[in-house]
Amino acid sequence: MSAPNSEIVGTRMRDLTPGAWLGRAFGVLILIVFALFFVVPLLWLLIAPTKTDRQLLLEAPFALGDIGTLLSNWQSLMTFQGGLIWTWIGNSVFYCVAALVITLCISIPAGYALAMTEFRGRKLLLVVTLIVMLIPSTALVLPIFLELSAVRLIGNPLSAILPFSFYPFGVYLTYIYFSTAVSRDLLSAARLDGASEWQVFMKIAMPLSTPVIALVGFFSFTGNWNNYFLPYVTLPGRKAPIQVGLAELLSNVPAFNPTNAASTTITLSALALATLLAIAPVLLVFLFAQRYLVSGMTAGGTKE
Amino acid sequence: MNLLRTTVALSAILVAGAALAQDGAITVWADATRQPAVEAFIAAHPEVPVNLVLDDGSSGASGTFQTKISLADQANEGWPDVVFSTQNNDAAWAARENNGAQAFAQVLNEGFLDQAFLDGFTPGALDPVTVDGKVYGLRNDLAPVLFWYNKTLLDQFGYAAPTTWEEYQALGDKLAAEHPGYFLGGFGDAFQGPYIYYWSGEAPIFQLEGETFKSDTSAPNAVKVSNLIDHMVANKTLTLDSVFGASFVASAANLVAIPGPAWYSGALFQNPGGVNAKAGDWVAAPPLKWADGAAVTGNVGGGVWYASSHTQNPEAVKTFLKFVTSDTKVAGTGGLPAYQAAADAWLDAQAASGFYAGDFKAAIQAAASSVWNGWGYPNFSPETAWAKIVTPGLAAGKTMTDLSADWQQEMKNEAQVVGYTVE
Amino acid sequence: MSTIDNSAATAAVALERPKKGMSVERAQGRIGVLFATPYTLFLIAFGILPALYAIYLAFTKKGAFVGFDNFLKVFKDYRFWPAVEHVGIFIIVWLVLLVVLVVTLAILVHSIGLRWFSGTMRFVYYIPGALAGASSVMLWLFVLDPTVSPVSWLLQALGIESFVGAVDASRLPVVLAVIAFWTGAGGWIVIMYGALNNISKDVIEAARVDGAGPVRIAWSIQIPLMRKWIAYMVIMSFAGGTQLFVEPRVLAQASRGVVGQDYSLNQLAFLYAFKQNDFNGSAAISLVLLAVAVALSIYFVFKGGLFERA
Repeated sequence: MSAPNSEIVGTRMRDLTPGAWLGRAFGVLILIVFALFFVVPLLWLLIAPTKTDRQLLLEAPFALGDIGTLLSNWQSLMTFQGGLIWTWIGNSVFYCVAALVITLCISIPAGYALAMTEFRGRKLLLVVTLIVMLIPSTALVLPIFLELSAVRLIGNPLSAILPFSFYPFGVYLTYIYFSTAVSRDLLSAARLDGASEWQVFMKIAMPLSTPVIALVGFFSFTGNWNNYFLPYVTLPGRKAPIQVGLAELLSNVPAFNPTNAASTTITLSALALATLLAIAPVLLVFLFAQRYLVSGMTAGGTKE
Repeated sequence: MNLLRTTVALSAILVAGAALAQDGAITVWADATRQPAVEAFIAAHPEVPVNLVLDDGSSGASGTFQTKISLADQANEGWPDVVFSTQNNDAAWAARENNGAQAFAQVLNEGFLDQAFLDGFTPGALDPVTVDGKVYGLRNDLAPVLFWYNKTLLDQFGYAAPTTWEEYQALGDKLAAEHPGYFLGGFGDAFQGPYIYYWSGEAPIFQLEGETFKSDTSAPNAVKVSNLIDHMVANKTLTLDSVFGASFVASAANLVAIPGPAWYSGALFQNPGGVNAKAGDWVAAPPLKWADGAAVTGNVGGGVWYASSHTQNPEAVKTFLKFVTSDTKVAGTGGLPAYQAAADAWLDAQAASGFYAGDFKAAIQAAASSVWNGWGYPNFSPETAWAKIVTPGLAAGKTMTDLSADWQQEMKNEAQVVGYTVE
Repeated sequence: MSTIDNSAATAAVALERPKKGMSVERAQGRIGVLFATPYTLFLIAFGILPALYAIYLAFTKKGAFVGFDNFLKVFKDYRFWPAVEHVGIFIIVWLVLLVVLVVTLAILVHSIGLRWFSGTMRFVYYIPGALAGASSVMLWLFVLDPTVSPVSWLLQALGIESFVGAVDASRLPVVLAVIAFWTGAGGWIVIMYGALNNISKDVIEAARVDGAGPVRIAWSIQIPLMRKWIAYMVIMSFAGGTQLFVEPRVLAQASRGVVGQDYSLNQLAFLYAFKQNDFNGSAAISLVLLAVAVALSIYFVFKGGLFERA
């Protein structure tokens, strides 16, 4: 990522006219207001589990609760149906990691093949990939469900893992990466040294492709982790991943489903905690990967 | 290497997939309110392993039960053995074959459960779940609407307890004028309007004749109920809060009286998270009637237990159903048990506890035997249309009079979609 | 709506032009086929076959060909056109929000000389992109409920006294658009920022020397040069927007039906499949949605210019 063009805006503040200075201040203000818009709900979510429902209703929104309350909310969430939340999270991890492995195993070679080799149908495959990649994944959920139902795979973990593993965007990303970042001459040189095609791929291409593996892995993992519609229809009940589980949890929160007036329900604070747990893995991966991602996403834009 | 890894990954998936399945136990779907009853069963019958899955019990006609069964039908696995639903109309679809999948609900008479046990239910209790002489479910509780009032408050204000809907409205006028802030009911849940107010008023708005659905919100009996609601919402003696919501609970000390089902007893008055009434304050009175109408009342759910036709453990299912509907400590889950012997025991226990002033038993029995039979049980509920049209309409300041035509249209549309002829 | 970030990223990367292959060796061809085969199988199994199967279902009933009957039935369903309207209004509100705010914010962020500030802003905007699906809606349930909301003063200032009020039919498209914007805008801002970096500094310097102010520069130089990207964003968001499902579904659950279970087209397709047991009708709705998405994506691949090859 290149530095912003400081020349354009002329950072030398003392050169600015009062009007321009005001304009600048106004711009910064807008940016900060939107920063708050993006980050305030998340901050609140971090605080909510430390409070009781009563405190949530009555106290200042950003007043901190205490660690004891956090523990008791934790306790109530963990004891909900014998720790069902961990089953859901475990399911999510299982589906997403399995899909991740398969995605990488099929996307990286496919992207390599599209970029570095010639074979019949290569162009067609590329165009179809491009088209399918741009179709929102939800558009195919019901058709995929109907198809899986016809082959009696609904309810089997494969009914999430296999569709999750189909990731044309990952193939395209790999294709772009190999086309631009890896020189064909390098591969040819290796071939001249007597390396087989397999060895060229494993010894030359693979070591160079760490960045794209990370990028494809990240997008695949977060996309699948956040996917709701497909597993909602293909994996009901205890096999559901956490996103579906969260919505199930909602029906046990009296504030949102008042006919359940029993004492064995989930409080708002515990729901907030569950939401936090559901996003934690993605948020963590994201925080670690962010520098890399932002540069990856703008890579095309900055390289001229 | 690549292929090897894929193979390893795939076999790991298959192994883990097999491990996810559970055997031997019966799976029960129920809402959180039913959880204590299921736990009591586990304690009483340790020989039957139970896997409880909590859901919303299809409350508010959310359709959870039907949706999840449809999904299981497609998966060709994952059916529960027993399901609890707060709705009374699920037999309308559960008794039918769907898309080639066998009907979900097990026929409970004709040999599955012994007839002597089924005969133990209060007469008429199983009508909503009986189709062509086949019984498809067991009622959890009877939920006739009665009239609950706070005797201590009424005495303090010097008011007589109303016995008709007209007197109820007049009481509202007096409260509004003399004791503003005190109120006579909450109106924020989708069940109150249709089941408590319209059903009790013999309003012909949700009727089924054969395969024909009828609804007429402009009939005199419907209009008088709409007027009552509009009047009392306007003078704020009916609030738009859910009776289980935070603001209703916060103002519960100002609740003077409320018409509502028998299960308000446990779910509202004796619930620390609800009204949390003081013993001796409240009276369960016989249902209100309209001066010009019959002595009839409405009904709010009452919940039904279904057995799955797919079950591999029919004996365990039978044991569970018998226990949960007839055990004197558990049956009814806080309301009036549908099983006669359990109902008698519950009524006696309630009377003995002295929690409610007045003749609790007589009031409940009067209500239970007078539910108006003109209400239909089609394969949809008036609650979804209510939630979609009336709840936001009232919140936006419109009246029942404004909204009833749209509500009727929405119900008719829903009827048409699920295949009824609409008149 | 997590797809947005992904496809946005694609667009950026897609600027690159791959070099053409020079020689074709048989060994290469063989390994190419070998490497491409597993992916091709997945492409067929989860891209092409489901679409074909949906087409089959949409035009048949109990296995018999029925022409457009399923479509006609769906179009006559009293819930269909309101759902189209809901989704349509949502998309319009969302696209306006996206175009105006994303472009404005990207230009503002880009104009900030302080490197750390600009970087921090982009990062902060992008964080919500990590959330999507049920968890982001769950978070917004809290924000929208005046009794617990961290911004209840704001809700009250807007005249929203209750959660039911917040999801009232007249406000819902805006609410859904705000949720979608919150989740997806950051990714687009990063993309636009990259596009801005691509604009030659000389052009802008020349304009400045000619006396153009920042607004003038933005309007006459930067925005026209971002046109392709804006078009891309609009088309992708349009396609994504038609797929509205999890947001209204969770809101329907939380509002106890005030937000209908038939609010969006995908929800309706869902009801057809699992409430009415009518897979043919469900497939018909899915196919309509799929046709829109495919048409948009084909238009973009062949006409949009982003994927042009030399």
